[in-house]
Amino acid sequence: MKVLKKIKENLFFVLVILAYIVVTLINPSMGLDSVKNSGYYIKEMLLIMPVIFILTALLDLWIPKDKIMKYLGKDAGLKGTFLAFVIGSISAGPIYAAFPMCVMLRKKGASTRNIVVILSSWAVIKVPMLLNEVKFLGLKFMIVRWILTVLAIILFSWLTDKMIKDKDYPEEIAKSSELTIDKKACMGCNVCVEQYPELFEMEGNKAIVKEHDENMLDMEKLKTTIEACPVKAIEYKK
Amino acid sequence: MDFFTIAIWVGTVVFLLVSFIKNKEKTKKALKMAFNMGKGMAKSIFAIIFAIGLILTFLPPEQIAEFVSNQPALIATVASALLGTITLVPAFIAFPLVGTLVNAGVGIMPSVAFLTTLTMVGVVTFPLEKEKFGLKFAAIRNGFSFLFAIIIAVVMGVFI
Repeated sequence: MKVLKKIKENLFFVLVILAYIVVTLINPSMGLDSVKNSGYYIKEMLLIMPVIFILTALLDLWIPKDKIMKYLGKDAGLKGTFLAFVIGSISAGPIYAAFPMCVMLRKKGASTRNIVVILSSWAVIKVPMLLNEVKFLGLKFMIVRWILTVLAIILFSWLTDKMIKDKDYPEEIAKSSELTIDKKACMGCNVCVEQYPELFEMEGNKAIVKEHDENMLDMEKLKTTIEACPVKAIEYKK
Repeated sequence: MDFFTIAIWVGTVVFLLVSFIKNKEKTKKALKMAFNMGKGMAKSIFAIIFAIGLILTFLPPEQIAEFVSNQPALIATVASALLGTITLVPAFIAFPLVGTLVNAGVGIMPSVAFLTTLTMVGVVTFPLEKEKFGLKFAAIRNGFSFLFAIIIAVVMGVFI
């Protein structure tokens, strides 16, 4: 049973290995060619993935959740979409390089819409790619395709946002946005900061949630803090 | 390495140094996180890469081009969109290839459809996308990308 479960978890990986074994048995040179073909992609991956992982982790630890929410969240509006396009377009590497970055952003409150924009523009509208396109297909071709692609991404990211609910995401992404402060309600009374200074701090005249480890929360302290807030602006969902 | 890859490396190294000066513990934690992320995704990434290698052996891009160029426009468009979803080739191969397609008289529509699905829709990256974002998200995003690849191709065919 354990073996079966392992196989199921890594189904794609197992299938690829099996395919290689079968191909190599039938035609050894084809198996060898396939490995050779993979060479370029391994190089491409090694050039970009380590730095993407480090950058994602650094952004995760240094950029507070409410900043991500503000710039890429549901209410970020046009500016958020624009920023998402910029992030996707200046990035490097294949589309799967965007996955860890987008998981992190989504966890911190970026909207589905902006995640789709980042993923899609990461794939098709890279700036170095545009130059390549002009070289081989001409300027007019590139400009028309670029405009159409941007329009298409704007349209279908909006549609995707309508269709995907929070519960459709895997647990890893969904569970992290548990502790929030309603900014409109908060009147900056400082009570939460006094009650639980490790978790809350003031930014301007509003309280914000500090960077924290969800597993290290002092539940008792958090509960008293939530109750102490005079406008009930703190929400904690388990 | 293109300019943007270098820029990301330089930017990240600077970020890392600043982070280290400001807070050693946090930086160590970040590196540990990065390492774990890499470990978690390594298997999936290698599966993707070797799957591409295998697909390229059976469906070399040149052969796709040849096949597509012999079909009527509509079938060619849908076929090249489909073929684009199962292959994943780097831009520096994709653009010259599509350039050859257009010059060989294949027509704008199939060429654009191929180009768009090549990069945006991925059968090989689907399992990883599903794992990270859920089945519904991966299905909807890839589905829309495919649909719009064809729409973009048709509109371009009219415009150019």
